[in-house]
Amino acid sequence: MREQHRADEADRRRRTTDGGVAAETADPGQPDPVEVFPEGEFDLRPGADDCYKCTTCETSCPVAEVDESFPGPKFQGPEQWRLKRKDEIEIDPSITECSNCLRCDTSCPSGVGLAQMHNTARGEYVDNQLPTLSIKYVRNRILANYRTSARLASVFPRTANFVMNFGPVRWAMEKVLHVPSERDFPEFATQTFREWWAERGGAQVSNPDKRVAYFHGCYANYNTTEVAKAMVRVYEHFGYEILVPPQKCSGTPMFANGMLDDARRHAVTNVENLVEAIEEGADVIASCTSCSMALRNEYPELFDIDGIETVAENTFDALEYLRINEDLQGAIQDATVSGEFAEAFAYHAPCHARNQGLDRQAIELFRDLDGVQIEDVGDSCSGISGTYGWKEEKYETSMEIGAEMFEHMEAAEGTTGMTECPTCGMQMEHGTGYDVHHPLEVLEAALVE
Amino acid sequence: MAPTVVVIGGGATGTGTARDLAMRGFDVTLLERGNLTHGTTGRTHGHLHSGGRYAVSDQESAVDCIEENRILRDIAPHCIEDTGGLFVQLEGDSDEYFREKLDGCAECGIPTDVISGEEARRQEPYLTEKTKRAIRVPDGALDPFRLAVANAADAIEHGARVETHAEVVDLLTDESDVTGVRFRRQGPNYLGEGSEGDVETIEADHVVSAAGAWAGQVAAMADVDVAMAISKGAMVVTNVRQIDTVINRCLPKDEGDTIIPHETTVLLGANDEPVDDPDDYPEEQWEVDMMIDVASEMVPIVENARMIRAYWGVRPLYDPNPGETEDTGDVTRNYFILDHEERDGVAGFTSVVGGKLTTYREMAESVTDHVCDRFGVDEPCRTHEEPLPGSRDQSILEEYMDRFDLRSPVAKRSVQRLGDRAPEVLGSEDPNPVVCECEAVTRAEVRDAIEDVGPDLNAVRLRTRASMGNCQGGFCTHRLGAEVYHDHEASTARDAVDELYQERWKGQRHTLWGRQLSQAMLNHMLHATTMNHDADPGLRGDTVDFAAFDAGRKTDAATDGGSTNGD
Repeated sequence: MREQHRADEADRRRRTTDGGVAAETADPGQPDPVEVFPEGEFDLRPGADDCYKCTTCETSCPVAEVDESFPGPKFQGPEQWRLKRKDEIEIDPSITECSNCLRCDTSCPSGVGLAQMHNTARGEYVDNQLPTLSIKYVRNRILANYRTSARLASVFPRTANFVMNFGPVRWAMEKVLHVPSERDFPEFATQTFREWWAERGGAQVSNPDKRVAYFHGCYANYNTTEVAKAMVRVYEHFGYEILVPPQKCSGTPMFANGMLDDARRHAVTNVENLVEAIEEGADVIASCTSCSMALRNEYPELFDIDGIETVAENTFDALEYLRINEDLQGAIQDATVSGEFAEAFAYHAPCHARNQGLDRQAIELFRDLDGVQIEDVGDSCSGISGTYGWKEEKYETSMEIGAEMFEHMEAAEGTTGMTECPTCGMQMEHGTGYDVHHPLEVLEAALVE
Repeated sequence: MAPTVVVIGGGATGTGTARDLAMRGFDVTLLERGNLTHGTTGRTHGHLHSGGRYAVSDQESAVDCIEENRILRDIAPHCIEDTGGLFVQLEGDSDEYFREKLDGCAECGIPTDVISGEEARRQEPYLTEKTKRAIRVPDGALDPFRLAVANAADAIEHGARVETHAEVVDLLTDESDVTGVRFRRQGPNYLGEGSEGDVETIEADHVVSAAGAWAGQVAAMADVDVAMAISKGAMVVTNVRQIDTVINRCLPKDEGDTIIPHETTVLLGANDEPVDDPDDYPEEQWEVDMMIDVASEMVPIVENARMIRAYWGVRPLYDPNPGETEDTGDVTRNYFILDHEERDGVAGFTSVVGGKLTTYREMAESVTDHVCDRFGVDEPCRTHEEPLPGSRDQSILEEYMDRFDLRSPVAKRSVQRLGDRAPEVLGSEDPNPVVCECEAVTRAEVRDAIEDVGPDLNAVRLRTRASMGNCQGGFCTHRLGAEVYHDHEASTARDAVDELYQERWKGQRHTLWGRQLSQAMLNHMLHATTMNHDADPGLRGDTVDFAAFDAGRKTDAATDGGSTNGD
């Protein structure tokens, strides 16, 4: 009787849930006599109602697996929400132990919005309980706003590369900011992707029927520009016109650090520019699976920005998009790779790719490619989870989670790593010493060169 | 020597009366046929009335309510959540009645505040857009279990004896006067002497019946006629709170139009249907549907909210003028002290009937005054100024909020339940895992309750809320059983588990659709399939033929459980 529209209703409510951060401008055309969800408040009732405690999420949590004091996603999400009384109970600090891999979100058989619940709880914790003068807050803010640091570093990339990995500097960073000295800072490209793009005169293909807007994110712009360039060459090879709209950080590191205000600010710019590109007939593609995940899943769950649903509905991973729209498998079967990328790869599927159902795409694609071997190193989490592994107090947990992946990489035939996620790549390199590449680079080697 | 008094009934009124009598020096024994709160108290709406509800139709009750409301906030803060209340007027609801309600409240001394529909919705965002305006009143949520348990604990502290699972089967009489009671133990008595099925008698100078809806049956044992006008009401429990304020509809005819936030949940209810037998009345699905429909008119999202169970209670109403009121809804909520010596020529026996949970203390005071009168005891009542156990030092709540090494919401919930007993219960150094995840109940709290009530998991539930959340015991019944096993026989633990599981199932049957249906199915799979509770040889008393099993793998097996065949 009641159940028929119960499910629809839950769905509808989830979709129309407003973000935890108030819109900066109200729509004057909309009569809104009562602000139903004041700033900082979500309606997460559907999440708490949908949980029937089955504990599947707990068994999928990589942090809980190595840290038995961590109460796990069921507690962090639906239980804590249900136990909290309005304006009364604070968020348990253990929310900061969550690495934001979001495996729980995908594993839930009952559709509980665990990602949304965790992001909200973390946002609340950071807003209300983490003193803004604390070193942790400052460090997390710096880590979360990687784009800001990366932009500065890219002005003098060589100096930055030297300084950031210079022993005494790292020692000081560990002491003052609690950034573990074990990690190597990623190298900054001497020319950013956007500089390269401008220098080459933008798109080389013009095609009103096949257009993509590239969301490169921060890492492919400032660090692994070869990935972004590979994407450009592959897509142009298939006759796509590429737009590179103005953009900021996708927000992933900000969600993970509970900095929802920062994330919202960036999201406003991204949505505005991507909507414009979509109106020009483009689909949005991203080469970083955390970026695509943010645009597709987290944006509509957390923010109420004009056009945010449009962006979510029209965003794809770069490899996924080609597999859908081109005969990529056919092209691969006819291709051969020689040279630098004629390797045996140990492939790790990032959690955020897994959450989008993309965890097998590279394996399925490259196992038919001559000159290349590929092996899946299993379904464990790499453990770095973006900025998580960059915190001194999380470093050990991060490496413990990663241990299974390291072990499987060592056991794999190849000694070169492959993954879509830049930070998973860092962790793979850190744990095994292997070079790590992005699938787009191999695709470029197979189809373009 | 102090006069001996037997109090029949372990609800709010009975425990309150036992406390008051004990504080005034009587030698008191309280008998309850089930757990404390087994009757009406455990099945109320938990509404701390401001009196607003009765301000038009039943002003005497309204005045009692507001007075007691104020007293309870002083003596039992750990049993109260100060939610405030609203009487909402929706589009189309009578302006005239709204005005009458306001005037009535003023006449009864109930403070009010009229707010616009918009303001009401700012306070409670899920109120319907049709809310025209609302009257703010000092309603609240009252935990009846905590309240009765605290009263019983304090009665014991003042020397009273409290016997649960002790059903009064007869009143001893001499000529026609009552001289004591005969009771039968309905369950094993783990905490005292005697065992299940034992019939015992207690000689008493006076017997007070606080049996509520059962008062007619008790009186009949002394051939006294007390015609109760009892009525049932259904209440439905949502999984999460849709509102944080008590919401009443501002209408003269009120059935099922009160929504009360209670702990993690919201209670919808209740209708008002006359019944004959408080132990045997139908629990019907239309009542559940009606509660949801009526509540949804005020708070539309209730319509599609997850409901975890429904329960029914029986109002202990007494109609002093039978035949004149047509509808149980019109029977006064006032209470009456029936002096059976004066009324029926039966000395040594008094009944206290009618009333509300909110006015339990005043009822207890009145009946105690009456008994004092009988025995010439000149001892003033102190129950209105002496805080109940758990409520004596509220500063402790703030002080201990973040301690005990528990996760924030677990610590807060536990401390709210335990009040100033928190340090005593939670202070141990032993590992203290969460046993009931839904309601954040830890092992220490469960063990404390078991020490108090024995291996009766339903009584443990009432004290701790364990198993009262969305899984309805699916994930904690067996864990609770393990805590029983700590101090009791395995068979006792199994029975306790079974009883609790059945009790939880009883209420869920009425809300089996959508998510709660999934929950029930998952619970069934866990308990029947995984734990084999529906065909457990241990429960059937069969002996297991262990010889029929083989000896397992040979000793050179890999210790990690993997294969030894070279891979």
